[in-house]
Amino acid sequence: MSTPSNQDPRLDQAAASDESLLAAHEKLLGKQPDEKARYKLLPLNLLFLFSGLIFFAGTYLNRYSGLFDPKIYNENELPGTGAPVAVKVDPLVLGKKQYDAVCITCHQGTGLGQPGVYPPLVAADWVIGSEERLIRLVLYGLNGPIKVNGVDYNGAMPAIGKVAGSGYNLSDEKVAAVLTYVRQQWGNTAGPITTEQVSAIRAKEGDRKAYVAEELLKFQ
Amino acid sequence: MSSPSTTAEVTGADTVGRWPLLLLLASGLVWLVLSGVLALIASIQLHSPAFLADCESLTHGRVTSLAETTFIYGWAANTGLGVALWVLGRLGGAPLRALNWAVVGTLFWNAGISLGLVGIATGDATSFALLEMPRYVQPLLVAAYVAIGVSGILAWSGRRTDGTFASQWYAVAALFLFPWLLIAAQTMLLWSPVRGVLQAVVNGWYVQGAFSLWLAPLALAGVYYVVPKATGRTLPSYEFASLSFWTLLFVGSLTGGRHLIGGPVPAWIPTLANAACTMLLFHYAVVALNLRGAFSGGSTALRFISFGLVAYLLGAVLDAVTAFRGVALVTQFTSFATAQQQLALYGGISMFLFGSLYFAVPRLTGRAWASAALLRGHLALASFGVVLLVVTLAAAGWTQGQDLNHAATSFADIAAHTRPWLLGVTAAQGILLLGNLLLLVNFAISVSSVCCSAPAENSFRQPSTMEAHAS
Repeated sequence: MSTPSNQDPRLDQAAASDESLLAAHEKLLGKQPDEKARYKLLPLNLLFLFSGLIFFAGTYLNRYSGLFDPKIYNENELPGTGAPVAVKVDPLVLGKKQYDAVCITCHQGTGLGQPGVYPPLVAADWVIGSEERLIRLVLYGLNGPIKVNGVDYNGAMPAIGKVAGSGYNLSDEKVAAVLTYVRQQWGNTAGPITTEQVSAIRAKEGDRKAYVAEELLKFQ
Repeated sequence: MSSPSTTAEVTGADTVGRWPLLLLLASGLVWLVLSGVLALIASIQLHSPAFLADCESLTHGRVTSLAETTFIYGWAANTGLGVALWVLGRLGGAPLRALNWAVVGTLFWNAGISLGLVGIATGDATSFALLEMPRYVQPLLVAAYVAIGVSGILAWSGRRTDGTFASQWYAVAALFLFPWLLIAAQTMLLWSPVRGVLQAVVNGWYVQGAFSLWLAPLALAGVYYVVPKATGRTLPSYEFASLSFWTLLFVGSLTGGRHLIGGPVPAWIPTLANAACTMLLFHYAVVALNLRGAFSGGSTALRFISFGLVAYLLGAVLDAVTAFRGVALVTQFTSFATAQQQLALYGGISMFLFGSLYFAVPRLTGRAWASAALLRGHLALASFGVVLLVVTLAAAGWTQGQDLNHAATSFADIAAHTRPWLLGVTAAQGILLLGNLLLLVNFAISVSSVCCSAPAENSFRQPSTMEAHAS
């Protein structure tokens, strides 16, 4: 081996020819004579290192990959484990959505309705009063005259719930939400109506035609 | 093997390849200086936003893209290709063939980059990192790269020597892999874009692939050749070099997903990247063992290469550490990521390329470098500049990341906290630019002397035969 004696930084001398470089390294890759039976530790250590890294990488991948599920975005989660998360929906938000889609055409965004045709919801006895009446009215609809806060109205309220002849087929949850909404909006302060209440009444009444006001007044 | 024409240090391969390879190296250096100017402008704008803000082509977003594009496709690609072809030619044992293809390819490659830069400056830039050049220049880049590569592939397939060496593996891998990377990435991102979040995944894969499968192999091709040439010793633990090579090729681009930690991608993509980053440490460990002879010092090339080696390894460790989500929580999407990128690209790749360049140019020109003072100046400025650049960027990024995680800290406060560090970044960019100017001047004088003076016949000592040393 020779080290460059000329230390001119402008010209790095080569200490080996290309041919000998190739030949020497090719020799290293061939079978090494092991005459003195010397045991080389470094290759063994490198193999341990390589295996160790593979082990770590494999373990890490297994632990944090979410089993390669395309829908897992949190590396600590596994698909299919853990109880299904029940998503809590604010009934007022859901209710407003239903109201704006269904009820608003007649009862108006103000909840005041149209004088003489569509009764108001604001502070209306029918709305903030009996829950039994209100749920039935909205689920199945109402035909004929109705007296709201002492004023007579004569229109037709269509069935909203998931009942025969309904054009809307809102689920019990949505009906409950919209009722809760109208009972707590525009200064109304009545209590909420639960999905269970709606379901119970729908199960009890089954399929029936729209109510008239007198029938509803029997419920307290 | 014993004929004088093949054992002489400056061979026919060098004389034949002189002008085509010097053209590649010269293009690289011109782009390097230009990218330094652009990076300096971008850096100044970070702490003085009004600087050149009225010039539409040089607003911060565009000038950053311009600097990055010039650095990668101008400097690193041209120089890396020049070094790779040179190494393939020398180790192939025959003069390079199809060099007219390489010249035409070089001209078109640089024309393509110029057109791409005009495109970026006038607002045609794409939104993808490292793929900012508008799509109308992308096919030209592929074609030009292939044309340049033909010469290297012919030198490889027509080699007259027994056996192959690690330099050749890395050079050939880079020649083959980059067209594949670029075609795949531009097809999926520019011509027939994949939908939604998949674009970010493809882009992350490309950014990492361009480093791991293209620039790193190009740079390693040079240093795997220069280190044993300059030290006269075989590489220690050389029997592991091929395992290291294949590790880089197989898991290198899989680490791309680490750019997406915290992004809206399925968890397994970053997780796979983290595992790959860990696996890749084996590649780096073997490179460190193989090239540790670079620290024996003495030659100019080895000084650059030993610096590059430290940076290359440090970059790997940082990549592996910051790939873990707890650390990424602070560092991701801050200047810290830029610091890592600069450490790898400037500290690692570029210093490797500088080393190979300083070793190759005297053999291509047949003469020593023109000025030792310019050379020492470049070494000092480049080393200091890279350290300053990486440290200030990392500090700025860490500050920024800590602040960003506190919702109460206002954006103006964050900017104020990072400002001192960003001033340091500007200083570092200035130092690097100055150093690279010294190199360009030295290169220009050295090359121009080829026309005017007779070669110094005896300046190259006849190299002795290398002895194989057991590690």
